[in-house]
Amino acid sequence: MWMDMDLLWKNLDFLLRGAGYTLQIAVVSMFFGFFIGLAVAVARLWGNGPVRWLAKAYVSVIRGTPLLVQIVIVYYGLVDFGITLDAFTSAYLALSINIGAYLSETFRGSVLSVPRGQLEAAYASGMTTWQALRRIIFPQAARVAIAPMGNTFIGMLKETSLVSVITVTELLRSAELLIAQYSVYMPFYLGIAFMYWVMSTGFSAALQYIEKRLSRAY
Amino acid sequence: MEPIVRTEGLVKAFRRTEVLKGIDLAVAKGEIVVVLGPSGSGKSTLLRCLNGLETPTAGTVEVNGIRVDGDMKPRIQQARYREIRRQTGMVFQQFNLYPHKTALGNVIESLLVVKKMPRAEAVEIGRRLLERVGLADKCDDYPSRLSGGQQQRVAIARALAMEPAVMLFDEPTSALDPELVGEVLDVMRQLARDGMTMIVVTHEMKFARQAADRVVFMDDGAVVEEAEPAQFFESPRSERAQKFLRQILQD
Repeated sequence: MWMDMDLLWKNLDFLLRGAGYTLQIAVVSMFFGFFIGLAVAVARLWGNGPVRWLAKAYVSVIRGTPLLVQIVIVYYGLVDFGITLDAFTSAYLALSINIGAYLSETFRGSVLSVPRGQLEAAYASGMTTWQALRRIIFPQAARVAIAPMGNTFIGMLKETSLVSVITVTELLRSAELLIAQYSVYMPFYLGIAFMYWVMSTGFSAALQYIEKRLSRAY
Repeated sequence: MEPIVRTEGLVKAFRRTEVLKGIDLAVAKGEIVVVLGPSGSGKSTLLRCLNGLETPTAGTVEVNGIRVDGDMKPRIQQARYREIRRQTGMVFQQFNLYPHKTALGNVIESLLVVKKMPRAEAVEIGRRLLERVGLADKCDDYPSRLSGGQQQRVAIARALAMEPAVMLFDEPTSALDPELVGEVLDVMRQLARDGMTMIVVTHEMKFARQAADRVVFMDDGAVVEEAEPAQFFESPRSERAQKFLRQILQD
């Protein structure tokens, strides 16, 4: 096996490109998932009956079904309804929708963790609900949300490997293509495992930095 | 003189429990009214109905000419209450300072957000107010670094920032260690001397006796007795007030 390690070096460029796609898919999905999560949390906290029900159903369905199934439904399933999406778009869509559901719960919980008296104090000083949320509640909730949000993001980085089944040449699929070509497994699998680890660790470090900065204030 | 705060037949019910059973109250400009009564008598709820933290089930609330009726649409009630809140300050039992803002930041927040005042101007007002409550040197400290008494004084400065016509105090010293009560009451006495209209829910009998123009005694959701403090404490008319005072004085 060890003499095959040079195959890894020879194909490093190819794998790094795969890692680049992995990172790209993760970051784009997190970006959209973040806003979906915010919107759904707001819907669940302050929406009227039907809106709240819809948001709740969304979270329940997404959290209650495997991500892999969601991905293949978006890529293969939607074709039946005349919606054909390319592999990357499908990956972005499925992962954003998925991460949005998890983040909405994080955001909802963190808003609820801010003591009731904060909202009352803001109201009593003449603020509207939106002003109170933006200036008083959200900044405090953000501090609570940052750690679980980081966990979700790191989890998502690794789960991007699932989109390899819909032919997106991210890191895992890059390795599998090389494996098919050379018929050796271990160097490539170990190589990408190491790359995932580096990316996750980098993410953790970045998040820890943000967390520290947010909590420095008080 | 036309009262600055008035309630007529104010009823507040939570589900089927009536917490306020038709309160008629009138407070004149510059008057210091202390609301006394056993816990659960509806004192805090009365105060919270004045600025809309609770909305009336029936009856009328009027503050500085702005009127809210129990049978108005909730949307209109909320809009009226928002007007009222711009003209009232409230001080809470648990302070409720914004932990992510400095003392100064707490005081000027409503000036920046509600009044949209330029920052420099707001800061100047904020510093003056903190000086007035004796905390000029604590402007840049976060609440977590202040004692309870200091926090409550910041909260008073914050409530004063909007130049309220009326100040509402909801048990402002009840969460404080005994040795910190005095500094908060001192600030309140000063405020009273400056002519502020104040409605104070408290258990501080000494403050009620010395600073109040009038004592309102509540029990079981109703105003049982209203009197000048000297008369209320020396010779309360109602049996329930007599019982309440006996219990308090025993402690």
